[in-house]
Amino acid sequence: MGRLNRDTYVAVFLLVVCGVLFWASFDIRQPDYGTLMPSTWPRIVLAVLSLLSLIYLLQSLRVKPEEDEKPTEAPREPGIGGWFAYWRNPILCFVMFLLYLVALPVLGMLIGSMTFVFVLMGLLGGWSPRRLLVHAVVTVCTVGAMWALFTFGLGVMLPTGMIFNPFG
Amino acid sequence: MIVENVLAAFSEILTIKTLALMMVGVAGGLMAGAIPGFTIAMAVVLTLPFTFGMPPSQGLATMVAVLVGGLSGGLMAGILTGIPGTPSSVATTFDGFPMARKGRPGLALGLGVWSSFFGGMISAVLLVTLAPQLARIGLEFQPWDYFMLVMFALTITASLAGRNLVKGLIAGAIGLLVRTVGEDEAIGMARFNFGSDSLLQGFDFIAVLIGLFAFSQLLTDVRDREAARKSLSDRGSIQARIEHRLAIREIAKRWVVVIRSSIIGVFTGILPGAGGSVANILAYDQAKKASSEPEKFGTGKPEGIIAPESSNNAVEGGALIVLMALGIPGDVTTAVMLGALLIHDVVPSPTFIRDEPVLAYSIFIAFFIANFMMIFMQSFMLRIFVLVTRIRMYMLACVILGFCGIGVFALNNVEFDLWTLLWFGILGFIMRQFGFPLAPMILGVVLGNIAELNLSRAMAITTDLTPFFTRPWSLFFLLVALFSAAFPVFQAHRGRKVWTLFYLPSACFAVSIPLFLMGGVPRPVIGVLVVLFGAHLLWKRWKSGWKLDPRESEAHTLSEG
Repeated sequence: MGRLNRDTYVAVFLLVVCGVLFWASFDIRQPDYGTLMPSTWPRIVLAVLSLLSLIYLLQSLRVKPEEDEKPTEAPREPGIGGWFAYWRNPILCFVMFLLYLVALPVLGMLIGSMTFVFVLMGLLGGWSPRRLLVHAVVTVCTVGAMWALFTFGLGVMLPTGMIFNPFG
Repeated sequence: MIVENVLAAFSEILTIKTLALMMVGVAGGLMAGAIPGFTIAMAVVLTLPFTFGMPPSQGLATMVAVLVGGLSGGLMAGILTGIPGTPSSVATTFDGFPMARKGRPGLALGLGVWSSFFGGMISAVLLVTLAPQLARIGLEFQPWDYFMLVMFALTITASLAGRNLVKGLIAGAIGLLVRTVGEDEAIGMARFNFGSDSLLQGFDFIAVLIGLFAFSQLLTDVRDREAARKSLSDRGSIQARIEHRLAIREIAKRWVVVIRSSIIGVFTGILPGAGGSVANILAYDQAKKASSEPEKFGTGKPEGIIAPESSNNAVEGGALIVLMALGIPGDVTTAVMLGALLIHDVVPSPTFIRDEPVLAYSIFIAFFIANFMMIFMQSFMLRIFVLVTRIRMYMLACVILGFCGIGVFALNNVEFDLWTLLWFGILGFIMRQFGFPLAPMILGVVLGNIAELNLSRAMAITTDLTPFFTRPWSLFFLLVALFSAAFPVFQAHRGRKVWTLFYLPSACFAVSIPLFLMGGVPRPVIGVLVVLFGAHLLWKRWKSGWKLDPRESEAHTLSEG
C-alpha cells in the first residue's frame, strides 16, 4: 500500500469517526440550565477535526507518492506473510497484553504480570535454555520487586486473583 | 512570609525519605535518559504511579529529580556510543563522540555533566525569579484569555512537533476529543459513553498518557526484531572516568557559551511545544556561529558539548516557569507534571504560587537539589550504565510493559484503566507509524478540560463572542497562534518566496496591537520597540532590493539535520 493511499484512507477514516461522533453528540442530554450545553464543546472540536481531516484528505490526494518521504527502513516482504513478519513484535505485544488483561481476574497481578513478562520475553527473544534461565531470573526479580514495592511500600491492594484467593 | 514559606518548603524536601527518593529519581532518570529509545517523558510518565501515594511535595520532588536526571542522562550514551540517549542530546554527539574517539571520553563526559549542571542552575535561578513575575501577569487573565492561551499552546506545539502542521493539529484535536468522553466538567452530563458505566468516568488521563507515550514507544523500540535483540554495548567502547577538574576549568574559560546557551534553553522552554530537542540544536548552532573556529565544530570542540548540554538542562526551568505561573505545560514532560499536580488535587493557575507557596517553593528547591544530586550521581551511574547497556532492548521493553500494567492499575485500583492503557497504546503506536506527532495530542488531553471550562466560564459571563477578539491578551494569543500556525509554511519557503520577507515584520506589527491595547506604560513601550524592530527588518529588506537569501533556507535545512 503506497503512502498516498495510506494517508487518504486515514483521512477518510477520521471523517467517518467525526460523522459517527457528531451523530452520537445528539444523544447528549441538554439540560435547561447553563449557557454552554454539554454537546457544544465536543461539536466545536469535531467540526475543527472534520475540517482538518478534509484538508488532510485533499493534501493526500495532491501529493504524488514520489514526492513523499523516502522510506527510512528496508521495504518489507510483499503479501500478508511479509506484513505479519514486519509487524510481528508489536502484534505479539498487543496480543499478550490483551491475554494478560483477560487472565488478570484469574491469575492476579503477581502471577499474571510474571507470566506476561516471561512469555513475552520468550516470544521476542527466543526459547534457548540459557535465555529461558535469564528470562526467568529477570522476570522474578523485576516483577517481584515491583509487586512488593507497590504492595508493601506504597500500600496498594493489587488483585490477588482466583488462584491465591479463590473465594475473593 | 516568603522566608517562612521557603523554610517550610526546605523542611518538606530535606527529609531523609524525600532526599532518598530524589536520589533514586535522579538515578532512574540518568538511566532512562542514557538508553536510546527511552525518552525523558517516558521516565517521568512511569514515575507517576509511584508518586500517587506520596505527599504532593515529595511526589513532585521525585518527578523533578527524574526530569533533571533524564536531561543529563542522554549525554552518556551520546558521548560514549555516538547514539544520543534522548532527542535533547542529539547535538552533544556532534562533538562529544569525536572527542571520546580521540581518547578524551573523560573530558567529554566532564564537559557534558558540568555544562548540564550550570545550565540547570542558571535556569533554576530564572525559574525562581521569573515564575512569580509571570504569575502576576497571569492574574490579569480572564476566561477568554485562558481559552486563547490553550489554543495558542496547542497550535504552536502542532507547528513545532512534526513536519506536517495539519497532522499536528489533527493530533491536538483528537486529544481534545478524548477528553470530552465521560461526564462533562461543568454540568456533569454523560457524553460519548455509549451506555457504558466505565466510560462514564472518562478515560483516566494518566493511563492515556502512559499508553500514548510509554506503551507505544516500547512497541516502536521492539518493532525491528534484530535491533530488539541487540544491546548498546555492541556499538562502542564505554569505559571512561569523568575528568571533573579539567572540565570545570575548560567551562570557566567559555562561560559566555554557558550563559548564552542556558538563556536559549530557558526561553525555548517557555515557548510551549519547543523542548530540549529544539534547544540543543539552536544552542549548538549559535555557539558555532559565534566561534572564531566554526570549521572545527564536529571534530571534538568543547563548545560543541557545552552549548547543547547547558541549553537542554535549562529548558525544563523555562517549561516549569510557564507551568507554575500560568498552569500551561510547556512540553510533554511538564504536561505529565501537571498530571502529577492534578492527581494530588492541586490545579496550577496564576494563583498557584500565591495559594500553594510551600508546594511551589518545594518544586524550586527540588530543582536546585536535583542538579547537585545529578553531579554526584553521574560518576556512580556511569558504572551502572555499563551494566545496563548489556541488557537487550526486548528485555527492558518487556519488563517496562509489565511495570506499565502494575503502575496503571495502582493509580485508581480500576481494571478499566488497564484497558485504557492498551487501547491508547495501540492508538499511539498507529499514530506514530502514520506520522502523527503525539505531543499535541498529549497537550490536547491535558488541556482539554481547561479549554472547555474557560469557554464555559466566558459564556456564563456573556454570550457575546467579541471579547475573544477585543480583549488584549486574548487577541495577543490569537495572533501569536495564527503566526505560529503559519510558521512551518514560512520555514519551508524561507529564502525562496518573496512573501517570506514580510512574515516577521507583519508578525511584529500585528503583535504590537494588543500590546498597545493593554495600556499602562511598559507594555506600549514594548509595543513601540516591537514595531521598530519590524520596521528595521522591512528597511533592511528594502535596502537589499527585496532580495531573497537562499542561505536562509540552507541554514534551516542544516539545523533540521
